[in-house]
Amino acid sequence: MKRIFKNIALYIGILSTLVASSCKPEIEGFQTTSGEANFSKYISVGNSLTAGFADGGLYLEGQQVAFPNLIAEQLRQVGGGDFRSPFFSENERSGSGYLRLKDLVNGQPVLENVTDNLAYREPGKLSKHTGDIENLGVPGMRLDLSKFGPFSAANMYFERLLQDGDVGTKTYMDFATGRDHTFFSFWLGNNDVLGYAMNGAVTNQGDLTTVLTETAMFEQTYRDFIGALTTNDRKGVVATIPDVTAIPFFTTVTRAALIAAIKAESGQDVQDIYIETGTGTPRAASDNDLFVLPFASAGLLGSTSAESPYPYGLYPDNPVESQYVLDSDEVTAIQARVKAFNDIIKQVAEEKGLALADAHTYLNRVKDPGIVYNGVIVNASFITGNAFSLDGVHLTPMGNAIIANLFIEAINKQYSSRIPKVDASKYRGVKFP
Amino acid sequence: MQIKKLLLGLLLASPTMLWAQGSQVNTQGQKAVGMAGAGSALFVDETSIFYSPGALVKMDHNAVSVGASAIMYRSAFREFNSNDVHHTKFKISPPFSVFATFGPQNSWWKAGLGVYTPFGGSVDWGDQWPGRYELNHLQMRAIYIQPTLSFKLTENFGIGGGFVYNVGLVDLSRSIPIAAADGTPGRAELSGVGTGMGFNVGVHYNLEDDFAISLSYRSQVITKLKDGDAQFTVPPALAASFPNTTFEAELPLPSSFNVGLTFPASERVDIAADATFIGYSVYKELVFDYKDNTPVLEDTRQEKKYENALSAKVGVNYEASDRLDLRVGGGYVYSPVRGPYVSPETPDNNRMMGSIGFTYDINDRWDLTGAYVFQHILERTVTSANTGLSGTYKTNIHAPGISLTYKW
Repeated sequence: MKRIFKNIALYIGILSTLVASSCKPEIEGFQTTSGEANFSKYISVGNSLTAGFADGGLYLEGQQVAFPNLIAEQLRQVGGGDFRSPFFSENERSGSGYLRLKDLVNGQPVLENVTDNLAYREPGKLSKHTGDIENLGVPGMRLDLSKFGPFSAANMYFERLLQDGDVGTKTYMDFATGRDHTFFSFWLGNNDVLGYAMNGAVTNQGDLTTVLTETAMFEQTYRDFIGALTTNDRKGVVATIPDVTAIPFFTTVTRAALIAAIKAESGQDVQDIYIETGTGTPRAASDNDLFVLPFASAGLLGSTSAESPYPYGLYPDNPVESQYVLDSDEVTAIQARVKAFNDIIKQVAEEKGLALADAHTYLNRVKDPGIVYNGVIVNASFITGNAFSLDGVHLTPMGNAIIANLFIEAINKQYSSRIPKVDASKYRGVKFP
Repeated sequence: MQIKKLLLGLLLASPTMLWAQGSQVNTQGQKAVGMAGAGSALFVDETSIFYSPGALVKMDHNAVSVGASAIMYRSAFREFNSNDVHHTKFKISPPFSVFATFGPQNSWWKAGLGVYTPFGGSVDWGDQWPGRYELNHLQMRAIYIQPTLSFKLTENFGIGGGFVYNVGLVDLSRSIPIAAADGTPGRAELSGVGTGMGFNVGVHYNLEDDFAISLSYRSQVITKLKDGDAQFTVPPALAASFPNTTFEAELPLPSSFNVGLTFPASERVDIAADATFIGYSVYKELVFDYKDNTPVLEDTRQEKKYENALSAKVGVNYEASDRLDLRVGGGYVYSPVRGPYVSPETPDNNRMMGSIGFTYDINDRWDLTGAYVFQHILERTVTSANTGLSGTYKTNIHAPGISLTYKW
């Protein structure tokens, strides 16, 4: 009797050991490989998206989740080496300053500027960064200015990366090449369209950042830049330029929303919003005319001034100024230019055997019909779409992670590599107060 | 500036919750557990209240038994194209059962009461895995209370039936994809208690000591959760959009039809086999009705589209001595869940079972029964129709258990 109980205790002991040892089911791992590529020194070349610019500014948290940084993290599993970024210090973590969602009043966003812990060494000049870097993204960088030395003095994000002697002379192409890289990502060209489009398709006199780059100029510079990066058969990934109608900057403030706003504020039953088109003629806006996001907070609509007794935007005699609106003809022209640029990008990628991340196609799909990522609804809606940050142009951390996966897929496809994907659900959308 | 219906995009995907196949680990009687669930025709004892109400009347004594199992679900998940394998946290869910019989000995009738847990489980993926917006943790239990009467129609033919009253408890949480100022996501926690009713009927026929057959049918039990508690942790600016509220939901627990056979293979060896058809097709969708709706907190309807399922179990009972019986069993279960509807609560697939068990007669009054069943849910790679989560699941379930019987 006693023995039996002893035996039972023994059996239970053996059983428990068995249970403990075989408890965790194992799933065979994803076999990583670098394929035909060598990721030991990866550099990222590009503009604000590459730098991790978000919420209208460049700041530490955004820099840390810039899509190239997320790619580099994954590349560690396939032989990737150090990937250093010009991070702002913890004390200067707010960098250039950025937008924060302060409140929601009746479901509408109230934004404020973050002004503590900024990184300005003097007005308009950011603290310098010294030391080697692999994330070479410069907010505001344009392809057409990438061979233009004086731009390195005009652009504070570029200026902070250069030694004093190089400021005003060093071109971005010089800066980005000659770094002995083994792999690169290249996403430039957005600002060659966006600078012009965000200014309502108006080129400000003397402001090179609002120019719409000519197609021939684009092609020449693109080929030069890619040529310099692909010497010695080096491999890389390039990306297409998104459609302007795929970003909340142009799709949030609609004609219908403006009419509803007037009605809510003054009770007036307004039928039409009048705009100044690119040709200078005022007309009633249609749903195909896109208002820029800052128009929402400009406080102009319905206002009167000394110059005009007519409420702003509600009469043909005082239309919404051209810089606040992309009229439908301008949208069509810009889309045509984007297509021309993307055709060049695709052609060069094919000629050079480079991976192509088709951000244009992908972001159009995010806009319509939208995607569901692991239970998270991701679309191009302002604030709630999870992909775009508070400036309506740049990505949230989650948007960066999703774009990183788009690049990774493209690289894997082109070079038979198996880089594991980023778990984008780890990254946030817009922060709410 | 007014941005109309700005927040409409913040749809909260519907909570997932089900009393599914994965949660059905039958541990009502430890003798049957030792045979991987077979033995409804073989074991004529107080657990027949659950397994074969028609056999109950054939007991030549009365008994009370108390049993419990320690069910351990161990699931793993690897997202498609990722190298990270995520494991559920180690949790033990302890289903219990109590069976008691009443009535005269060797009479034409016998009564019994069973309180048992036919569905239950606990799975905790935490809030750091790729499916965090689908599920963090789920704990649930359905407790059936079943008074039963059994009658002898002839010496060898018994019939029985019981009324089932179900109390269901559920508690689940998931992350909400809304970041607070510190970047952390929100969280939804839902818990509630529901009740339902059903029945259990069966017949048992035996040819002297040679051969026996058991047929039984357990009806579906629709469990209605009312006034469940829904709590949301979201940033203050959105608190009004996610009011803490109550919800109602309806969860059908499936019916099942069981056929059991047993025959002796030798003096000391009995073989038993059971087949069970489970009516999971009743589980078509899951609807959540929140009492307070807001533009972002709407009632939800989630498709489940389950199919009927089937399981087959075989076991061997060996009478090692007058006092000791040893058992071994095996079984196979076909999943009712189609690939796109597999969810992390119980990432289901077809499963294999293996078991061992024993009963030791301590004396004429007391029996001790122990069993251990291991279930391996086959690896399955799926893309969720509801969330798009795509990856590979694999699950092992361990369930050691013990029961003590007092006879008179």
